[in-house]
Amino acid sequence: MPDPTRAPSTRALRLGICGPVGTGKSSLIMTICASLAAELEIGVVTNDIYTDEDARMIRAAGVLPSARVVAVETGACPHTAIRDDVTANLMAVEDLEAAFALDLVLVESGGDNLTATFSPALVDTQIFVIDVAGGGDVARKGGPGIERADLLVVNKTDLAPHVGVAVEEMCADATAAREGRPVLALSRHDPDLVALLLDWVRGQVASHAAGTLVPADPGPMAPHFHAETGWHSHDDHPLTHQH
Amino acid sequence: MHPVALLLSDARLPVAGHTQSGGLEPALAAGLDDVPGYLALRLATVTRTEAATAVVTLAHLQRGEGIDAVYDAWAARTPSAAMRETSRELGRALWRLASRLWPLPPLPAWMPRPVVLGAVAVACDLPAEDLVRVIGYDDLQTVASAALKLRPLDPAVATGWVVAALPLLDQLASSVTGLARPEEIPATGAPWIEQLAETHAATSRRLFRA
Repeated sequence: MPDPTRAPSTRALRLGICGPVGTGKSSLIMTICASLAAELEIGVVTNDIYTDEDARMIRAAGVLPSARVVAVETGACPHTAIRDDVTANLMAVEDLEAAFALDLVLVESGGDNLTATFSPALVDTQIFVIDVAGGGDVARKGGPGIERADLLVVNKTDLAPHVGVAVEEMCADATAAREGRPVLALSRHDPDLVALLLDWVRGQVASHAAGTLVPADPGPMAPHFHAETGWHSHDDHPLTHQH
Repeated sequence: MHPVALLLSDARLPVAGHTQSGGLEPALAAGLDDVPGYLALRLATVTRTEAATAVVTLAHLQRGEGIDAVYDAWAARTPSAAMRETSRELGRALWRLASRLWPLPPLPAWMPRPVVLGAVAVACDLPAEDLVRVIGYDDLQTVASAALKLRPLDPAVATGWVVAALPLLDQLASSVTGLARPEEIPATGAPWIEQLAETHAATSRRLFRA
């Protein structure tokens, strides 16, 4: 679905990073850029809700030439800009790809809520970021990003002792919700965990280049189980079913 | 009204319209409290220039003429670089969509939105008057819907502003629909709006692109 006029392997991998405000999306991007800039040509598109602060912060970190970091304003519609009208973001991505021979474009969503995910029309693969400081029950609550993003990052594990969260339990909840899709507990201060993140990114870049990566939509809402009715999707009963 | 006019004036058209406030964000920040007056001001000035540019583009393309002179006339009558940039960005987004849907006449890259709309009108046999109404109506709704984000109020109030301004679309249509030559495009600038557009483009805190 991403730009059907191009073969998948001839342009950069477009990697979306979304998740609630403050979970560490920009930090994750800076970690990826700082660690992989020597082996991959990288560009970044940010979608700040009210400022260009994320773009400025990433530029100021010096992990990329500043021209490779562009901000998209979303008119208070961060959800729309990554899902139902991706035009502004696609133009920014294509401009970066045209200006620099890139291997990887990171698209950071405006920090929104647990329901926001990227359209496969914009990104080839996506990471959903939650953090232990947001509460141990977040993974259990689920949502399309937590359940079906290509990778779920449970961030800031170094803070777990300070916020009374059991990381193993949180990751077990997430793994159960994700039906086998990968979960990565991450602290940017732990080189071994960062290495796992980088390996996942490298794997996605390689898979995309080989033409074997198939973008998947996390979907607006998952089919799920109610004891009284059995499995269903909310598409079946959009008006009659309340949660 | 031509059905494609309905499509083009629908905010659900995926052309990044949600990034725009029609200059309302900086206007409110500068102290504007008369939004209906602002709507009328835009229709009489900057939006009139855009609408005229679109119908002259349509006329040029119908005659098989190039649009360089139209572009130059539009640029000369749009003194704010920020507003020219915004219009080109919107034109690019529309071109991206429309060129997938219709066989558009070839245009140079980065044409402003009214020129691209003129090209769409040629491809779809959209009458000039409909084209003008699309541009005027879209401008009204862009401002009114942005107002609901920037200064939340009863949506019926904002829609009431649009309804009250609809007769102004007739005036706009009667004043520019028949234009056919670049030199006829009115130079109806609004220095206050243009200055605010420049200020807004330089700020680091904004919800809307423009």
